[in-house]
Amino acid sequence: MIRGYSHFVTLAESLQWDEKDIDYSQDRASWPLLAEDESAKVLGLIAGFVIAESSVSEEIRSYQAAATDESMEAVFRAQERDEERHARFFDLVAADVAGVPGADAAARRDALRAHVRPELVELFEQRLPATARRLAEDHGALTSAVGLYHMVIEGVVLLAGQHAMLDTLEGLSHPLPGLRKGVELVLRDERWHIGFGSRIVQNADLGRDEADAMLAQGEAAAKVWGNLITPDAIDGAVRQHRRRLKAAGIKFW
Amino acid sequence: MSVGGQVLDKPETKRWYCEPCGFVYDPEEGDPDGGIPPGTPFEEIPDDWMCPICGATKADFRELLPGEFPDEWGS
Repeated sequence: MIRGYSHFVTLAESLQWDEKDIDYSQDRASWPLLAEDESAKVLGLIAGFVIAESSVSEEIRSYQAAATDESMEAVFRAQERDEERHARFFDLVAADVAGVPGADAAARRDALRAHVRPELVELFEQRLPATARRLAEDHGALTSAVGLYHMVIEGVVLLAGQHAMLDTLEGLSHPLPGLRKGVELVLRDERWHIGFGSRIVQNADLGRDEADAMLAQGEAAAKVWGNLITPDAIDGAVRQHRRRLKAAGIKFW
Repeated sequence: MSVGGQVLDKPETKRWYCEPCGFVYDPEEGDPDGGIPPGTPFEEIPDDWMCPICGATKADFRELLPGEFPDEWGS
């Protein structure tokens, strides 16, 4: 693992994309033709991402303020730009493809909460904001906050959801190529976000309690999607979480 | 390595870099949790192996050039 942060900014610059450049015309034509169970599953996953991306794009500002040096702060700033784009992308799909009602993004998010489990809403609308508030008051809590955001939320919850979305899209009776393209681009962004978080964790002198908490949080968080992702996918996400923590230098006792 | 009492640097080991996330594969360490024993050259890793950090594929890695990221190497 490379220890510095600066190359993430260069990487982020090279990966920029615009959600408005994606063609959703086929998606709009396909959506009404999907079977009820197909559209329900895709809408559930979209709902989860709308809630998640809206939350992370807000809360990352506390992380930026707690950065330990300018290079880390610049990477958080680059990540914030990605998260805001992800939030716009999933809201655009919800409004223009799935026809979710609402005058604005907040109203559509309100309408979508009923499509996901309460545990997912609690993670993104209570636990993450509470962690960000604590971080704003105590910048020394950065490593554990990164543990929740980058390792648990991005590395387990969002990564598992993105793979579930791509698998679901693959099996649909009518294609949603615009959504697929956007999710692939989101997944590409998430990889460097996770790499960045892993770097921070690796550079920290993590204690046993923090390491154990990070592992346990990941194991619990993998289940917030409920039946929108398969038990095998949950197991796979947990295995990868443990492997990632070990690769980042955490030893489990 | 020693020649005539002079200690020479060992040849630099080829390392491979995951472009999506920054993980570096070091053949001396391998990736035991990913089924890759220490000492395995990158070229001998199966094609379905995935980056332990981000899940990218083997094809997403590139060889690090000698001296690349010299100020950023960890211990």
